[in-house]
Amino acid sequence: MIDSDRAYDALILEEAPDAVIAIDAGHRVLLWNRGAERLYGYAQSEALGERLHELVQPNDAPDGAADPLNNLPPAGPSTYEALRRRKDGVLMYVDVTAKRIAPLNGGGNAPLIVLGEKDVTQLRVQRDAKLLETRFRDLFELMPDAIVVLNATGRIVLINSQAEALFGYPAGSLIGEPVERLLPERLRAAHLHHRAGYVAQPRVRAMGVGLELHGRRVDGSEFPVDISLSPLQTPEGTLVLSAIRDATERKRFEAALREKNEQLASAMQAKDRFLATMSHELRTPLNAVIGFTGTLLMRLPGPLNDDQERQLKTVQSSGRHLLSLINDLLDLARIEADKFELRMEPVVCQEVLRGVFGALQHQVEQKGLQFSLAMPDENLVALTDRRALTQILTNLSANAVKFCDHGSIHVGLGPAAGGTAGEVQFTVTDTGMGIRAEHLPTVFDAFARFESETGPREGSGLGLHISRRLAEHLGGRIELESEYGKGSTFTLTLPAGSVS
Amino acid sequence: MTKILVIEDHPTSRELMTYLLRCAGHDLVETGDGREGFDLARTHRPDLVISDVQLPGMNGFEIVAAIKRDPALAGTPVVAVTASAMSGDRENIIAAGFDDYLSKPIDPETFAQQIARHLPPQRSSR
Repeated sequence: MIDSDRAYDALILEEAPDAVIAIDAGHRVLLWNRGAERLYGYAQSEALGERLHELVQPNDAPDGAADPLNNLPPAGPSTYEALRRRKDGVLMYVDVTAKRIAPLNGGGNAPLIVLGEKDVTQLRVQRDAKLLETRFRDLFELMPDAIVVLNATGRIVLINSQAEALFGYPAGSLIGEPVERLLPERLRAAHLHHRAGYVAQPRVRAMGVGLELHGRRVDGSEFPVDISLSPLQTPEGTLVLSAIRDATERKRFEAALREKNEQLASAMQAKDRFLATMSHELRTPLNAVIGFTGTLLMRLPGPLNDDQERQLKTVQSSGRHLLSLINDLLDLARIEADKFELRMEPVVCQEVLRGVFGALQHQVEQKGLQFSLAMPDENLVALTDRRALTQILTNLSANAVKFCDHGSIHVGLGPAAGGTAGEVQFTVTDTGMGIRAEHLPTVFDAFARFESETGPREGSGLGLHISRRLAEHLGGRIELESEYGKGSTFTLTLPAGSVS
Repeated sequence: MTKILVIEDHPTSRELMTYLLRCAGHDLVETGDGREGFDLARTHRPDLVISDVQLPGMNGFEIVAAIKRDPALAGTPVVAVTASAMSGDRENIIAAGFDDYLSKPIDPETFAQQIARHLPPQRSSR
């Protein structure tokens, strides 16, 4: 009789509608009935001997440390609600009744805890939904975005009509549903996993950050979405507020923009190719013009009379002018395209100035000008690109020589006067013709050339423009002071550097 | 007399360079075709080769590679004279093994000196 009673007890235990679980003091599973198998999805054979929290608590659950099982009263049942994870990852609310059972006969077997558990997710959802409905519904209806609020199990507890319209569902029909209903099927499993992680560590995630997300309408059609997530603390626990925006238009714009960018990039490439070809094609005939003018002026084929020499020199200077135009145009094209590669390094200003001075000396002497260079003895260092600096100073100095028919050119170097200690300043002063006040505002424009009263001047009209653009690229500036008929001073200011 | 091979397909440019170099007292061998240029290098063993980069037959890069690979020619300096003067061209050309790079238009007053810098010191016995 006792045996059949035992068998009957066992049957009742097995077939009880709720989960019945027993664990030892180390929370290892000793008993796992059919109800527990149904609730958690783990077969008895999988559960026995495992630690209960490792089986059913969500990963990194925030309440992991404060497991009520650790704080059970010594006697009598204790009931609480807990967030639990099924074997397939689905989160649910479980109503738990736990009770300590003292060892029988004052020893022998170890103390146990018996748990009766049942799924109260739907009840909880209804409760959360009611709570939110009264508190937030009107507010969320006013929001421009579709809003879906989820509880910790990922069930929809509040949805505004914007969201229902976005996904095509009738009003109220999504309450209590897992949020995965709004996702394409292929993404649901992965989302379940992400969601469990989010519940463990809720944080604000801004719209458009992270993954390419897709929504699924009730008719099965998919559309791209932007989603922002924020935790919403309520007395009933942490909920997740999710604002959803149809990203179809944004994606369309992005695709159009990408296409435009590609077109632009290929147009830029075509331009680069064109410039390279143009440069190549112009240089070849210029080689003959400059070259053979040179051989004639060197009198390699034979003597020249004065007229021939003068006319050949005109050809030569025109050829050189054409060459400087080509070089300047290519430089300008590179600067405009931000392709002028700068190598910023500490550069000793005195070295650069001496180089520039050396290259110009011949021209200066030919024109019978005085040239003076005033530099401090101690090395002044600029943090700059040597080639660009050389080009600017060459342009400014050559300009001075060009527009100065008699008198002097003075080039100076020093720390920025009255400015910050972190700058160096170059000045190029000439006693040339100067610039009329009305021309000052446009002096640095491309092809800004003004009628000279003392005859035409050679040059591309791009030198100052390029110099100013280069100075800007170097983080510096060029300023001009000029008095018509007396001369001009160009001042180049650059960031100072330290000797490394 | 030093012998200089000029490989340049543009007749006027070739005439200019050979004229300047002849006036400076060098012996000249010339062609407008890249492949023929390399053949001439092997048969004439010039003291220096001047080559354009864009050439029919074999381009300048192929010529300089072939010369530097050929044990009999490997020591011969090769100078590129080219109208390719965009940024990066000089670096590419030097990296390809050319000993120097001159961009067109050349400076007629200094061209012969610039070339002579790469000539081996003259043996007095010749």
